[in-house]
Amino acid sequence: MSTSAGGYPAPISASAGARVPWTVWACTSASILIAIGLYWDISWHETIGRDSFWTPAHLLIQAGGLLTALVCAMTIFSATFQPNSVARTTSVNVLGFRGPLGTFIAAWGGLAMVTSAPFDNWWHDAYGLDVKILSPPHILLATGIAGIVWGGLLLTAAEMNRAAGAQRARLQRLCLLLGGFVIVHSMILRLEYTNKVLLHSSLSYVSLGIGLLVILEAPARAAQHRWARTIMAAIYSVFTLLMLWILPLFPASPKLGPVYQPIDHMVPLPWPILLVVPAFVLDLLWPMFEKAPRWQQALFGGVAFMAVLVAVQWPFATILMSPVARNWFFHPANYPYFTPPNAATVRYVFVKVDANAMAFWRGMGIAFAASAASMWLGIVFGNWIKKLQR
Amino acid sequence: MRKLLPLLFILLLPLSTPAHVNSPDVYFDGLAGPYHLLVTVKAPAVVPGIAQIEIRSADKDVDRIEVLPLKMVGAGAKMAPSADVAQRSISDPQSYHGQLWIMARGSWKVQITARGARGSGELDVPLPAISTNTPGMQKSLGVLLSLMGLALVAGIVGIVGAAGREADLTPGQQPEPARKKRGHLREAIAAVIVIVILISGDRWWKAEAATISRLNYHMPHVQTQLLSGNVLHLQLDNPNSQERNRFNFLMPDAIVMDDLVPDHNHIMHLFLVRMPDMKSFWHLHPQPTAGTQFTQTLPPLPAGHYRVYADIVHANGFPETQISEMDLPAISGAALNGDDSGFADSAATDKTAQLADGYRMVWEQDSSPLKAQKAIWFRFRLEDKDGKPVQDMENYMGMAGHAVFMSNDGNIFAHVHPAGSVSMAAVNIAEGMPAAHDMSKMNSTMDAKPLAGEVSFPYGFPKPGDYHIFVQVKRAGRVETGVFSAHVP
Repeated sequence: MSTSAGGYPAPISASAGARVPWTVWACTSASILIAIGLYWDISWHETIGRDSFWTPAHLLIQAGGLLTALVCAMTIFSATFQPNSVARTTSVNVLGFRGPLGTFIAAWGGLAMVTSAPFDNWWHDAYGLDVKILSPPHILLATGIAGIVWGGLLLTAAEMNRAAGAQRARLQRLCLLLGGFVIVHSMILRLEYTNKVLLHSSLSYVSLGIGLLVILEAPARAAQHRWARTIMAAIYSVFTLLMLWILPLFPASPKLGPVYQPIDHMVPLPWPILLVVPAFVLDLLWPMFEKAPRWQQALFGGVAFMAVLVAVQWPFATILMSPVARNWFFHPANYPYFTPPNAATVRYVFVKVDANAMAFWRGMGIAFAASAASMWLGIVFGNWIKKLQR
Repeated sequence: MRKLLPLLFILLLPLSTPAHVNSPDVYFDGLAGPYHLLVTVKAPAVVPGIAQIEIRSADKDVDRIEVLPLKMVGAGAKMAPSADVAQRSISDPQSYHGQLWIMARGSWKVQITARGARGSGELDVPLPAISTNTPGMQKSLGVLLSLMGLALVAGIVGIVGAAGREADLTPGQQPEPARKKRGHLREAIAAVIVIVILISGDRWWKAEAATISRLNYHMPHVQTQLLSGNVLHLQLDNPNSQERNRFNFLMPDAIVMDDLVPDHNHIMHLFLVRMPDMKSFWHLHPQPTAGTQFTQTLPPLPAGHYRVYADIVHANGFPETQISEMDLPAISGAALNGDDSGFADSAATDKTAQLADGYRMVWEQDSSPLKAQKAIWFRFRLEDKDGKPVQDMENYMGMAGHAVFMSNDGNIFAHVHPAGSVSMAAVNIAEGMPAAHDMSKMNSTMDAKPLAGEVSFPYGFPKPGDYHIFVQVKRAGRVETGVFSAHVP
């Protein structure tokens, strides 16, 4: 990596040879570090309970945020204060500062993460230790993480759109990798709604219908790879499975009470939702509908995705709940130490969220509609990313 | 094997303990096997939160002390989390400090394991855990977060504008005016959306805060009414019954009123203290009649404005003190009977209280001044008219004595025993015994039979001020009450 006379990193240049910009590497590394940190942290809370600001899981998340914020800030300062730099030509103007759009989004994400830390700390002191994922400080943190991951994705896409040949192929692969981790982060937020005991209720599918296809479709369109959706869904699945199999290898026990379940190893997060199957179907059928009007693509894609997902996830949920799955491979016993003995997940009993058949079908209708709407948004967003140059 | 310890009280008092009134710290003196420990616990103001535990061993041969939290009853009482090792103090090797996370409101116990030259021993201490208040945000933090928030809002608006204006331009191309205008329009829309999001976020925050506030412990106010025949009628209150389960899995213990258990022989211990002179003091034991109602035939007592404190204990070991105030006329009722006790007109003294038949109760104080939040032993000696220690003290409700520490304005009240300030019923439950286990039949190396003429109580005043200490012992079949004044600078 070369540096300019002023000591700042050399500006990003599309014609700098077959070299991936270091900001892209930084954002990619940060996305992966943060994903590992988040999975590890949730597992930590479900197994050990007690943590501090400086646990390894927290350090990974913080490192990812800091790395991105610093690297992007340096890039922005370099582009802003070097008027003749090549980076100027491939920069946007945000409040007088210059830099690639993706770096601003990633830097913004880093700032949001840093802001969420003292907010979360105060929240614990005022309202007690958090025992659910979705609280205002956590949403700010999640928004910050989304900024980093999407910032990295847009940065990579802009580079890719200006690149050609081997450089483009390299950036395309990074796009798909980042897209896969966008899915990982999005699915973490849906964990409370996609617990195995809820997979025979419409609630899970409504949750999966809202927004998932935006983050699957947009990067896939931008990457323009024949099997983009499948690859991204496969990255999410492989990451989740690796965490599912690796975490329980480590012995651990609760350090907080009340302890309702005997736990002697790190509790992993659940088996991945089978997104890879509908993603594969969409990729397979893509040539059939790529020329259709946008609204038809959205309708067909959204409905097909959700239909295939329900068709595979529903029976798979039955397998997950059955004695046949109670082994290290499926590891369905991924409930925390504080799960009461009579909880559905401990008894392997489905929870019927829908009061009756009408409620179920109404919910499923919402799921399909949300899926189609998300597909439409994904198409619009993906088409915009394809045009990104800065 | 653990010995049964009648005087084991570890009181984990939150800021507004349910077991007393505004006397948050817990003082407990007991045996962990062969080791004599004095335990002080400062409970968290917010639960989930951290309890601070101070332990002082009277013996020098303790090597290690471990602490862990358990629910008192139910599934959470069966499996324990890993124990924490208490840190030994550098300046005093017999003192240890530990911390425990208390994760749900309700009835807990702290299990203390002491290990040393004489083996190991265990001590179970009841811990009622509640949230009492919700602190606000410090101004400096609020300013910092606001500034960072402003930067985030400005940033996202600028980013949206830039995305619409320039992001799809080829390198080197400048945006024409129409694009710039479009960029500003998108910035305006983004600003509106961000403001809507912030307003929604603020409403969400307020909703969460309101839910938390509803789950804070509210002091119950017992309803009192004087009926004909000098009968006092009491109706228990339960302002904490409407708790919603905010958490999916950490359920707070519900507080209900149909699960009361006797605490040292009585379902309710009722204290009446005339204010402001505090010269009329009564310790009575109302009988339950129906549901949450109790009646008490009042003894002869002078007219006045009385503070009422009703101590009860629930089946899961959770104690409460329900409070009230009432004006009573002069009562010329039936004489005291059973365990009921009190006096109609007795002023506090600094050191020596005159009792019946020339007997005296002497407060043995050392020269060091009283200090708030410091655990000390309050020792009282009973003497006959010749100044000799009394030899015929008896158990009063299974103990050497009972004490009430009360601030002169009535806002601080603690009902304390020789082992400390916990409920004895809760101690029994913590030890796995029935709540109503007869303490007087306990076999213990500690005062099952009172020392001749002396009783002592571990306690620490919660804050500076003026207090009355009412000390009750029994001799020759009669309960004697000495009253002392204390000034805590």
